[in-house]
Amino acid sequence: MILRSILLVVALAFGATALSGLTLAAADDPVAGQVPGQSLGSSSDADLWRAVRAGQPQTINIPGREAAVLIQSEGENWRNIRNGPISMIGGWLLTGVIVLICLYFAIRGRIRIEGGRSGILIPRFTQMQRVGHWFVAALFILLGLTGLLLLYGRYGLPYLIGKDGFAVLASAALQAHNLFGPLFLASLVVLFFTFLKGNIFSKEDIWWMAKLGGFFGGHASSKFYNFGEKNWFWMSMSLGFLLSFSGILLDFPGLLEDRYIQQLAHISHAIAAIIFISVGLGHIYLGVFGVEGAVEGMTTGSVDANWAKEHHDLWYEEVMAEKAAKSGGK
Amino acid sequence: MTFLELTEGPFWYVALVVFTVGVAWNIIAILAMRVRDDSALPRKSPVGGGIRAIFLHMVPHGGFFSRTAYHVIVGYLFHFGLFALLLFGSFHVAFIEKWTGLSWTPMPRWGMVIAAEIAFGGLILMWIRRWTDPITRQISDRDDHIGTGLTMLAMLTGCFAMAAASDGLRAVHMLSVELLMLYFPFSRLMHAFTFIFSRYFMGAAYGKRGYVP
Amino acid sequence: MSDVATKVLDHFVGQVGAQAATWLQSCIHCGECAEACHFYEVTQDPRYTPTWKLEPFARAYRSRKAPFAGVRKALGLAREPDEAEINEWQELIYDSCTMCGRCSMVCPMGIDIASLVGLVRKSMAANGIGPADLFAVAEKSGEVGSPLGVTPEKMEDRIDWLTDEYEVDIPLNKEKAEVLLTISSIETMKYPQSIVAMARVLNHAGIDWTFSTKGYEATNFGVLSGKADVAKVMIERIVGAAEAVGAKTVVIPECGHAYGALRWTGAMMLGRPLPFEVFHITEYMAKLKREGKLKLKPMADAITYHDPCQISRRGGATEAAREVLDSFATDFREMTPTGNANWCCGGGGGVAAIERATPLRHKVFEIKMKQVEDTGAHMMVSACANCRQTLDGGKEHYKWDREIGSLVEIVADHLVEA
Repeated sequence: MILRSILLVVALAFGATALSGLTLAAADDPVAGQVPGQSLGSSSDADLWRAVRAGQPQTINIPGREAAVLIQSEGENWRNIRNGPISMIGGWLLTGVIVLICLYFAIRGRIRIEGGRSGILIPRFTQMQRVGHWFVAALFILLGLTGLLLLYGRYGLPYLIGKDGFAVLASAALQAHNLFGPLFLASLVVLFFTFLKGNIFSKEDIWWMAKLGGFFGGHASSKFYNFGEKNWFWMSMSLGFLLSFSGILLDFPGLLEDRYIQQLAHISHAIAAIIFISVGLGHIYLGVFGVEGAVEGMTTGSVDANWAKEHHDLWYEEVMAEKAAKSGGK
Repeated sequence: MTFLELTEGPFWYVALVVFTVGVAWNIIAILAMRVRDDSALPRKSPVGGGIRAIFLHMVPHGGFFSRTAYHVIVGYLFHFGLFALLLFGSFHVAFIEKWTGLSWTPMPRWGMVIAAEIAFGGLILMWIRRWTDPITRQISDRDDHIGTGLTMLAMLTGCFAMAAASDGLRAVHMLSVELLMLYFPFSRLMHAFTFIFSRYFMGAAYGKRGYVP
Repeated sequence: MSDVATKVLDHFVGQVGAQAATWLQSCIHCGECAEACHFYEVTQDPRYTPTWKLEPFARAYRSRKAPFAGVRKALGLAREPDEAEINEWQELIYDSCTMCGRCSMVCPMGIDIASLVGLVRKSMAANGIGPADLFAVAEKSGEVGSPLGVTPEKMEDRIDWLTDEYEVDIPLNKEKAEVLLTISSIETMKYPQSIVAMARVLNHAGIDWTFSTKGYEATNFGVLSGKADVAKVMIERIVGAAEAVGAKTVVIPECGHAYGALRWTGAMMLGRPLPFEVFHITEYMAKLKREGKLKLKPMADAITYHDPCQISRRGGATEAAREVLDSFATDFREMTPTGNANWCCGGGGGVAAIERATPLRHKVFEIKMKQVEDTGAHMMVSACANCRQTLDGGKEHYKWDREIGSLVEIVADHLVEA
């Protein structure tokens, strides 16, 4: 009860803070030709930029693919998108998800196992699946935290620790992020194959969705994975691979001919990351806190029979039928 | 004195002394305990058996590979990655040259990155196994987790400092390495030195009997 | 800390020399040793992980004798076992460890866990902590000469009876002989045909040998229980008998630990080098075969061989049995794994004498059953009476349809008599 109230307050506080974030983000927007901050030079207006953008690469006699382009003006677009919609919308999405989760928990509470635990264990995930999952999860946390610092750190941390302090932190975060990125790609490939079985959409998913997964009361049947889990699998795989490939392009800019591709890679990387983290928070909430009896499937490998009956009853029936066939045959 | 000067100066000296004296004391103290001999007539040379054991136990043998594959492969990935990083990472080569005058060709940066990825991958996978395998959950203690944690910290701070653009990050890495060095002689990490003796003693005792297990 | 706990831990730490100290300090808690242990294999209980069996004693070593032990104690980091924990550990030190040494094969640090268990047993036994039945059997062997009460008089009676019943010459108490043969009480009481078989083989080869009532018992329950005084007495009796008859060779019967006790640790217990060569009966038969003194007719039965741990992996005499079986047993099949990596029978190290360990021992037999069934053989032959007794117990419990045999008996059954 106390926990629920605290989380309700946390959700509201988050929401309030998010509102104030609006003003912070807006602070650095350039306004009508006036150059922001304390920079030298007097104006930077639309006509000037149009002229710059209309320019063509000229001939040069030094090596370097991009040396013929003096001002890559798409960079300004990229910067505005990154500091504008991505930061804003992404920020709203992330805080919104946290608020929603806290609200859901405050109202619905932890989804308990109906009838309590039976004490009978059913094997659910193999050692390979568990190790693979936690490996990717550890990398996800490392990459997510460093990535969020790189995207959002500038909006608050320099005020707390100073600009130099933030520069050091960001440098550290970038090094770690770049190093763990390729590992994430490799492990995601392994994870794809270890979790593929059971994640193909099928018709009982429609009924599960009709019942809203039982999140708002009632019982929704499902096999080994329910519709929500299947969505999470495909979403995390596609977002994960998008993140990985765009990340590779960012990690090895030498592979690219054009800075523009790198900017596109960065934007898609940021968008994919924010969506991944947002939905990931939901996955973590449900797996670790929100549903009693769920996490042990991924730590010990087995789940309680009553948990299986409640959340994956069709799978439970299959397992029981197989057991009966085995012992009957003997 | 700056933070970096502190960690590359007095702290470093202290850590180095504690590490070298600690490791040496540990090894000498256990070897100084009586080496027991069973006085039996040897079937084969105990020295030969001892040396054989040192090399034999580097690889799974006796048909146990399939049962120990995860641990062996992941363990080696970590150790090889770490040694490649320590001995051939350009920053470490420069550090060793500064202190000993010895130098050799380091790896290019991409080599260091790959070695680090392998080392991290290995260490994370090993730690996950320690937490999830029922056997290691039963037998693991604080020492195991602190040792892994300090190693992870040293590697992570090293990764943070890879841009070589900040004294502060370099100093934090030095500090975490010094913490590891201070902890090392009093912990299970000593296996890095004792493994040779423990394999030798077993190989000598049983090689004498005719078979090194 | 209670008096008993202090005594046990002091005794244990007092035994620790350079080898034991190195081993106690080198464990990295990787858990691979469990993969080699038959007790873990059949129960999947992580408490049977070999290194876990030593855990409280490793802690005691770290807080009493290890380098920097004083610092650890001063900082309050020493967590020694109390009497309750030492008592709790009885089951792990006695009931569920046969000291077979298979764990050392897989340990990346090469730790000899089995001998460390042996050291702990000595400390526990010296303070009366352990299975009462195993201790009783050890005391009996010290007092009367045999764990099963085969006194010198009973020994004479038995030999007389066997000589008559089987019409075979079994020399007893000859004044002088080249070879002193010893026996296991398990054979005397349960498998007397083994004694007859050994006699037949040695007579066939024309060996000048004898039994002696001064020293006949090869089994050493002092070694198994950890009662060091009894262990020494058992060795001294055999050495005394061998010296009395001037034997240059002592042959150990079908028994595993008896071989290790005399051949590999006898000199240390005696305090001087052994004045004779020691052979296990399988080694001796291999030697006779090499010298052309053993004429055998072929045996066509489908058989497989169980390696007694103390003869093969911890004894170094694995090949002897194969030498004997070569071109004599025409349908001999190796089980998997075999030889030095073979699974323990589950009854060694005194475990066969511990009544409360019976259910666990029977579970271990399931490994052997599968090994044998996979070869398709009808008989599992071995060269250790303790293994045989354990395997027979398993066979009875599961109503198993295969046979358990003895190597010396099948050799004796196939001798070509002149």
